[in-house]
Amino acid sequence: MQRHTLTPRNNWQKEVEKLGFGFHTTNVPYWDESACYEFSMDEILLIERASAELWDCCLGAVQYVMDHNLYYRFAIPDQFIPYIEKTWQEDHPAIYGRFDFCYKDGVPKLLEFNADTPTSLYEAGIVQWFWLQDYDKGKDQFNSIHEKLIDYWKYLKSYLYPGPLHFSCVKASLEDLTNTEYLRDCAIQAGLQTKLVFIDDIGWDTNDQVFVDGQDEPIKNIFKLYPWEWMIAEEFGANILADRNKSFWIEPAWKMILSNKAILPVLWQLYPDCPWLLPAYFEPGRLTDYVKKPILSREGANIELIRGTSTLQITPGAYGAEGYIYQQLATLPDFDGNHPVLGSWIIGQEPAGLGIRESSTLVTDNLSRFIPHYIR
Amino acid sequence: MKKTKQVSLVLITAALASCHKPGNADWVNANGQHRRVYIRSDSTAPYARMTHPAGILLWYYAFRPYGSYSYFSGYRRVGYYSSAISQRSNIGLSGEKGGIVRGGFGSGYSVSS
Repeated sequence: MQRHTLTPRNNWQKEVEKLGFGFHTTNVPYWDESACYEFSMDEILLIERASAELWDCCLGAVQYVMDHNLYYRFAIPDQFIPYIEKTWQEDHPAIYGRFDFCYKDGVPKLLEFNADTPTSLYEAGIVQWFWLQDYDKGKDQFNSIHEKLIDYWKYLKSYLYPGPLHFSCVKASLEDLTNTEYLRDCAIQAGLQTKLVFIDDIGWDTNDQVFVDGQDEPIKNIFKLYPWEWMIAEEFGANILADRNKSFWIEPAWKMILSNKAILPVLWQLYPDCPWLLPAYFEPGRLTDYVKKPILSREGANIELIRGTSTLQITPGAYGAEGYIYQQLATLPDFDGNHPVLGSWIIGQEPAGLGIRESSTLVTDNLSRFIPHYIR
Repeated sequence: MKKTKQVSLVLITAALASCHKPGNADWVNANGQHRRVYIRSDSTAPYARMTHPAGILLWYYAFRPYGSYSYFSGYRRVGYYSSAISQRSNIGLSGEKGGIVRGGFGSGYSVSS
């Protein structure tokens, strides 16, 4: 993996806005084409292989958590356990996830799995592809996200209830809306009937005991870009269990297990020989150089990086009440102060592409930049 | 690895991009004051009974978003109105709303992960 500095396209802002990418810049740049990463095909094939193997490991880990009733490790309320297991046993529809890798010395190591509400899908699937068409059409990219999304929605179509597939996210975030609308775009291309309802507009019909959309139509299939741990803690959370329609929520509730960082020690316990995993434990004191992570946290909040007796970095935040895990320290590579983390997408059941976010610190947070890539 | 030659989008357009911009100047007038924001009247801003200071229940204002009510012509809405929410949910006494409540999800700000 090599990092190259580039001159951005003239009017690149207009070029990406033409694609519907409106959040390319906030108070700091987010889409950054002043640099790009170059990979060899062998490197990409290894990342692809690691992603496929980790996906298999993750499915095994979910089954292990259920078989050994380890939900307490994940701070999952007891009343949701039967529902989570039902969505697993009945194989409720799921579409995607993103492994975050530290890629150093030619080996990807799993930092975490964004299995429930991964974002940057649009940047990875569309924006960086069109960047490559302008930069060098002859080059390739690890990116079949768009095609795989359409194909997998087609596949899922026969598993959904009759009626529309709703798509939902919060109103206040253009980033969330863009990611959600992109998924809806692919579903439309797959021949599905779709409808957007913001998560705060979802209604609960107290008479019929079903969820309804803004026009009071029942919701039976819904993709939500909204974390399960928030949903079950909110006022309507208990209604999911009471829902007479038994709606399909995508991602399904069993993804609560994989999106929780408590899965990392479970994976390590089950697959200690897996070359893509870092040692991880629930207990402190087993590692000298480690990262302390809350089991539920977002955007790099409340992370502590410890090397021996030195603290390399601590990030602020409001997470940690549910507990922590301890993962062996794997510092991100350093390209003149730029630290990339590789996001490897799983669409359906297969590796589908790569998106790179770069930070100025060792923790990838909400100030990170999206950097395009190509295969030489 | 390579994509198909044609990658097309049917839904996402420049319209989404135009939603862009934090601190958008559109939200601030020439005097630097924020424009008035109208809060939508679904149950994300829960209805409450309104009473006159004298304690009289104002039925024709209670449970109604914006507008006026006439005994003869019924309810007539004015001002901001969201077509995202059905007429049945927006207007009428709570008993007429089919027992639908809203706003039970969505306390989080952004997923961004």
